[in-house]
Amino acid sequence: MSVVESEHLIDLVDLSKSYDGGETGALKNLNLYIRKKEFVTLLGPSGCGKTTTLRLIAGFETPTTGKVFFDGVDVTDVPPHKRRVNTVFQKYALFTHLNVYENIAFGLRLKKEPQNKVDAKVKQMLHLVGLNGFEKRRVDTLSGGQQQRVAIARALANEPEVLLLDEPLGALDLKLRKEMQVELKKMQQELGITFLYVTHDQEEALTMSDTIVVMKDGLVQQIGTPTDIYNEPKNAFVAAFIGESNILRGTMLKDELVNFDGHDFVCVDKGFGENKPVDVVIRPEDLKVSEPADGQITGVVQSVVFKGVHYEMMIASNGFVWKVHSTLCREVGDTVGLSVIPFDIHIMKPTLNETPKEA
Amino acid sequence: MHRSQKSASLPFIVWMVLFTIVPIILVIVYALQNGGGDFTLQNFVDFADPIYINVLLRSIGIALLCTAVCLLIGYPTAYFLTHKGLDKKGILILLFIIPMWMNFLVRTYAWLTLLESNGLITSTVNAIRHLFGAQDDVRLLYNYGAVLMGMVYNYLPFMILPLYTALDKMDKKVIEAAEDLGATKFQVFVKVVLPLSLPGIASGITMVFMPAVTTFVISRLLGGAQFKLFGDLIEQQFLFTGDWNFGSAMSLVMMALLLISMGLMNRFGDREGGGIL
Repeated sequence: MSVVESEHLIDLVDLSKSYDGGETGALKNLNLYIRKKEFVTLLGPSGCGKTTTLRLIAGFETPTTGKVFFDGVDVTDVPPHKRRVNTVFQKYALFTHLNVYENIAFGLRLKKEPQNKVDAKVKQMLHLVGLNGFEKRRVDTLSGGQQQRVAIARALANEPEVLLLDEPLGALDLKLRKEMQVELKKMQQELGITFLYVTHDQEEALTMSDTIVVMKDGLVQQIGTPTDIYNEPKNAFVAAFIGESNILRGTMLKDELVNFDGHDFVCVDKGFGENKPVDVVIRPEDLKVSEPADGQITGVVQSVVFKGVHYEMMIASNGFVWKVHSTLCREVGDTVGLSVIPFDIHIMKPTLNETPKEA
Repeated sequence: MHRSQKSASLPFIVWMVLFTIVPIILVIVYALQNGGGDFTLQNFVDFADPIYINVLLRSIGIALLCTAVCLLIGYPTAYFLTHKGLDKKGILILLFIIPMWMNFLVRTYAWLTLLESNGLITSTVNAIRHLFGAQDDVRLLYNYGAVLMGMVYNYLPFMILPLYTALDKMDKKVIEAAEDLGATKFQVFVKVVLPLSLPGIASGITMVFMPAVTTFVISRLLGGAQFKLFGDLIEQQFLFTGDWNFGSAMSLVMMALLLISMGLMNRFGDREGGGIL
């Protein structure tokens, strides 16, 4: 077997994992590469296989088939303690019998580093995560956010080439989560190492990642930058999972012309053939509210909810209820026009017999 | 609210006063009196005799040994029981608990039958020995080993259960975290599993040592009339010699011993209430 392209730090080749207990968390034929210094996020609903992927890379699980390469070297059968990755666990998994200092020093002590080096490294790590002076504290006296910082410091103290993060912010409240998102991104850039991040929170993924891998039922749905994934979702599932969307069935009449909701729309997609069923995705913020006469379609406002930055309105047209985000407010019962520019109409192959779930 | 809570605990308080506090006070009063009812410390002076001290030391010795053997057998067993891949875990744990439902006298009598000269174990051992040319018969009953074995058998579940509880509730992710940071299986055990199970160990030691050091029937049944432990001495004073004052003094010594060992063990056991105590 030849060495896989060297720019890649991690290569997952035809990776599958099945469990006796059923389908949850199983993985089907995953192929993925991760570059050096990249912030990659595995994003998907629970049971999609994202945590399994992470555990396969950490070495806690062995794949049913397929291989894991690290710098071109096959590490599929290498035990976790010999891999150059470290993990931040969802519920921190701190050593409650040790204080903060010894938690962070755990990996260094195993490597038999001299005391002065351990001191320096622990101090540096505490500074990095903003916990200066916490050395002697018992970990069970810390808040959730502080415990998570210790967990991050403990993993980073080993100077891994890849930091694996398994929904690390899941247990924190919203405000703290947002702060930590920014801090984690900053740490990753400062340290110049690869972060592989697992989350089911699409906003978190969009905020931090260089690359997002959207997964569902053990299969990769789409790999791309946050902008790509948001603006050019490959299928209705990705569209529904990332951000909010209106997804409805339509008919591709010919190249660059699509019919949905009883009207023909000019669009920019082609190559679907003629008179073929398609899924049409339009983001709520891409729909423009106007006077009935100025719109491509007309509808009646069913509900209005103030969301802070915008109003969220549900507008019923011929056969579909549109979700619309607008800074303009209309009254319930008003008849309004709706229009969308060709570039914002996303056409994708229909997903058979399933309605995408709202994220 | 407050009043109803108080009245709800009344039966318990009455029970405690009648059957725990009053008896303890009686023991103290008896211990500080001579046969005529006068105040004296003579009972404790009498106790300082080497005969009694030796029996006390033997009791402590065999209890410590019993606790150590229980820990050595119990820890690997409990560790094995918490193994995640283990099938039918419930049944295995039940097997360890079922003997606890039976009176320990019954269980000790069972050993008596197994270990006596014509007993299953003794005759089997002797038959094997004769195969290899031995002429004499071994006696497995009425010696130190038989008493120790009976004690270990009786108290082992009290070691396994708190250890099992402590190991089972340990977050398995902590083990993964240690491996992730570079620890081998052995290092994971020494640096993480063992220290985190210390409360369970302390609890197990307490639960075995306390009844072991006060044992008296097991020693008489399996050790014979000559084999005396401290509990036997106290029993003797009350039931045969009839010197309640001296018996009470010895009981006080034993209580002091138990309180000291409990105090020692609680220093390890207090964190997060790792065990049963």
